Amino acid sequence: MRKTKLSIGIFAIAFAALTVMSCKDNKKESVDSNGHHTEMGAKENHMGMNNESEEHHHEDGDEDHDHDKGATMKTRDIEASTQKNAATAPIIDAYLQIKNGLVADNKDNAAKGGTALLAAFSNFEMSQLNEEQHTAYMDIVEDAKEHAEHISESPLEHQREHFETLSTDISDLVTLLGTNKTLYLDYCPMKKTNWLSETKEIKNPFFGSKMITCGNVKKKIN
Amino acid sequence: MKVVKIIALVLLVVFVGIQFVKTPRNQSDVVPKTDFMLVNDVPKAIGNKLQISCYDCHSNNTAYPWYNKVQPVAWFLENHIKKGKSELNFSEWSNYSDRRKKSKLKSIISQIEDNEMPLSSYTLIHRDAILSESEKELVIGFMKQIKDSLK
Repeated sequence: MRKTKLSIGIFAIAFAALTVMSCKDNKKESVDSNGHHTEMGAKENHMGMNNESEEHHHEDGDEDHDHDKGATMKTRDIEASTQKNAATAPIIDAYLQIKNGLVADNKDNAAKGGTALLAAFSNFEMSQLNEEQHTAYMDIVEDAKEHAEHISESPLEHQREHFETLSTDISDLVTLLGTNKTLYLDYCPMKKTNWLSETKEIKNPFFGSKMITCGNVKKKIN
Repeated sequence: MKVVKIIALVLLVVFVGIQFVKTPRNQSDVVPKTDFMLVNDVPKAIGNKLQISCYDCHSNNTAYPWYNKVQPVAWFLENHIKKGKSELNFSEWSNYSDRRKKSKLKSIISQIEDNEMPLSSYTLIHRDAILSESEKELVIGFMKQIKDSLK
């Protein structure tokens, strides 16, 4: 027992000595942390477009086309959203998998959907996009990926929080690139936000079984 | 008895050994132009609170605690900071697209509202980083204001 005590004693002294020693030379290196997030720059110029499309979602049914830019963007959005595009199907399927997981209060299924969504983004063929679409797509995906990651590894309520913003991202993506699916843009008055569903019947993913029928269909896509 | 001694000795050697491994430090003398504080013209009271409560893990400049001088604590903190910065880096604020800014602000607001941030493991030692109810309200109000201005 005495030897153990001795060892522990040596340990403690070494610890103290090293703490003091390492105090001296710690101020030397400071690291320039640039380089992080450099990929995020230079995407600002397309935000105008995305803001418009979001506005479009929020103010759907609003016939007031008073400012020119809004009017042209809206017309384009409507055209884009009826555009048949099969390439976005894996992304939308994964999104719906998350949605259905949340509707069923099933954290694991929602998480699997998050992983599937990340895979769908990395498999997406970007070469088919024109330059403008590409920039807008990257802007959306950069954000959506982060939400998908969180959804793949978080508890249910946290998944739902990320699903709110993810829904905006995915509906902007559908507006941008189109889909071959029939989708419904639903509105949740409690969260004041939209989500996409493949069924006409309302099944609220933000509250699950607590308020399953809460919400209304804003728009049918295709 | 002998076994215990050998184990203790091995541990000691390992402990001493890892003290020589230096971790890169998250420190910078300049506040970049892209910093949240500069971009948003943050009122001083709120700015100070953000600096104390958030900037250690969510900016390019950490005010390190004394125990960061010992390994393996330094590693642990460095990973922690790296993760924190990848989620949100106030130093790089204006490099985020408006979409991501909105997304980050939403998360900032809900994390503070739900008392998820600052982390309880952090406020355990950094008592001054705790946000009082009135400070929470102040910070959240300001974040909501920025978020609304982005729409």
